[in-house]
Amino acid sequence: MDSPVIAHLKEHKDKIVELWMKKMDEAAAEAPQSNINYKALITTNETFAEVIYNYILNDGSSRNLNEFIGRILQFGWPLSYLTHGIQVFRRVVIEVIGGKAENTKELLQLYQQTDAIIDPISNKLIHDAAEQWENTVYLQKNALMELSAPLIPVMEKISVMPLIGTIDTERAKLIMENLLEGVIEHRSEVVLIDITGVPIVDTMVAHHIIQAAEAVRLVGAKCILVGIRPEIAQTIVNLGITLSDFPTRSTLKEGIETALKMTKREIVFIDQEGSD
Amino acid sequence: MRTQSCIKIKNEWNIVQARQLGRDLSKQLGFQTVDQARITTAISELARNIYLYANDGFIKVEPINDMGKLGLKVVSSDKGPGIKDVRKAMEDGYTTSGGLGAGLPGVKRLMDEFKIHSQEGVGTEIVAIKWLR
Amino acid sequence: MRIPILKLHDYLLISIQVELDDQTAIQFQQDLLEKIHETGVKGVVIDLTSVDMIDSYIAKILSDVVRMSSLLGAKVVLTGIRPAVAITLIDLGITLKDVPTALDLEKGLEKLQQELEG
Repeated sequence: MDSPVIAHLKEHKDKIVELWMKKMDEAAAEAPQSNINYKALITTNETFAEVIYNYILNDGSSRNLNEFIGRILQFGWPLSYLTHGIQVFRRVVIEVIGGKAENTKELLQLYQQTDAIIDPISNKLIHDAAEQWENTVYLQKNALMELSAPLIPVMEKISVMPLIGTIDTERAKLIMENLLEGVIEHRSEVVLIDITGVPIVDTMVAHHIIQAAEAVRLVGAKCILVGIRPEIAQTIVNLGITLSDFPTRSTLKEGIETALKMTKREIVFIDQEGSD
Repeated sequence: MRTQSCIKIKNEWNIVQARQLGRDLSKQLGFQTVDQARITTAISELARNIYLYANDGFIKVEPINDMGKLGLKVVSSDKGPGIKDVRKAMEDGYTTSGGLGAGLPGVKRLMDEFKIHSQEGVGTEIVAIKWLR
Repeated sequence: MRIPILKLHDYLLISIQVELDDQTAIQFQQDLLEKIHETGVKGVVIDLTSVDMIDSYIAKILSDVVRMSSLLGAKVVLTGIRPAVAITLIDLGITLKDVPTALDLEKGLEKLQQELEG
């Protein structure tokens, strides 16, 4: 059996929707969304009202609502549009059906029942939006992780890992794992870690890099640290760390030359055809 | 899935049992290979400490769920002599050649959370957690 | 349980395929030293590809055996240490600083050949 509020909602649907549309329109006029055109707003408002009604009358079947929320957020509409819509809906419903109450007790009951019907919608809204954002953040974090430490096999036996950006503990762990897995996968004998793109090398970062180099040695390859700027050299010395186990070079180019020597190879220039 | 497992550490062979338990459980929970190795190694260190310094004790391994965050909890407890100076025991030795006893700070680094409670003459309890990434 | 030690030309090859308990590790240390003494080889490769965990105790036994072997005149190379194992060793603060390493058995043998013959 329908609660009185549901009955009222059915009975006064046209009036409620009309009033709601009007208020949504007013709100939009007061604070226009620059990136949303007026026509789209009207259509969306109509759908929104329809979706809310369907949700309430079908008693919790949330498919349309899900779809609608998903679409709105995907198109980049602000969550505040949705929450505001629900708030206005609540107000309109109270305004329309509140007058039907015969005494305070009944009025209070109408209020409570309205809340019981509308609260789940706004909870769902927030839940869905939060989930969608979490999902996005998760995907971006993963994408960032993948980008964050690639090991590039530049030639047989030699790989380069260019590090760009700030290195925190979590990233350092990832770098270490990628580095070692890559060494095994490409059968690299020498790995160049290029820290040209690392803006700050503090004691912590230096420590992580040295640990990575030590781990590389354990799996049976060698590390060369390249891209060392003067201030980094200072940090390393101030740390009291001797890097005698790992060759260091100031540029990637010199590093590659060293790596070639370590793998007993060299670059030779060949005469161009016809020059002799 | 087993919800909790406990191994009594009395001899060298129990150390192997304890780490096999940790290896199995961390694999079941879906830890990546590196974290599996971390957990297994941490358990081995803790079990060895019991064997070397406390004669006997327990290693307890259980999955945990903290508001949706999954992890593995390792508890090492013994009624051994206890650690006189916990802070000192948690200091890193500069040489690794000592091998034995380099354990505790290492275990702390292998795991995400580490709590130690020790009382001289009463015993030691260590709780270490690794969260699923 | 005993870990088999193979002799190939002037080298000893060991591939550790079992879970290393303390007893096995100590036994292995002893067996290897005796074999070096008996055969007079100058190079040893210990392959750890199948080992998925090295704790501080096993690490100590391994680094000890490398130093003991060198006292007997044999150079030892550890090969095939897995990434996960390397990372846990570093976490433990163990770098096996003076222990030679190589990617795999083949590269380990190459390394010994270069250093002993070349």
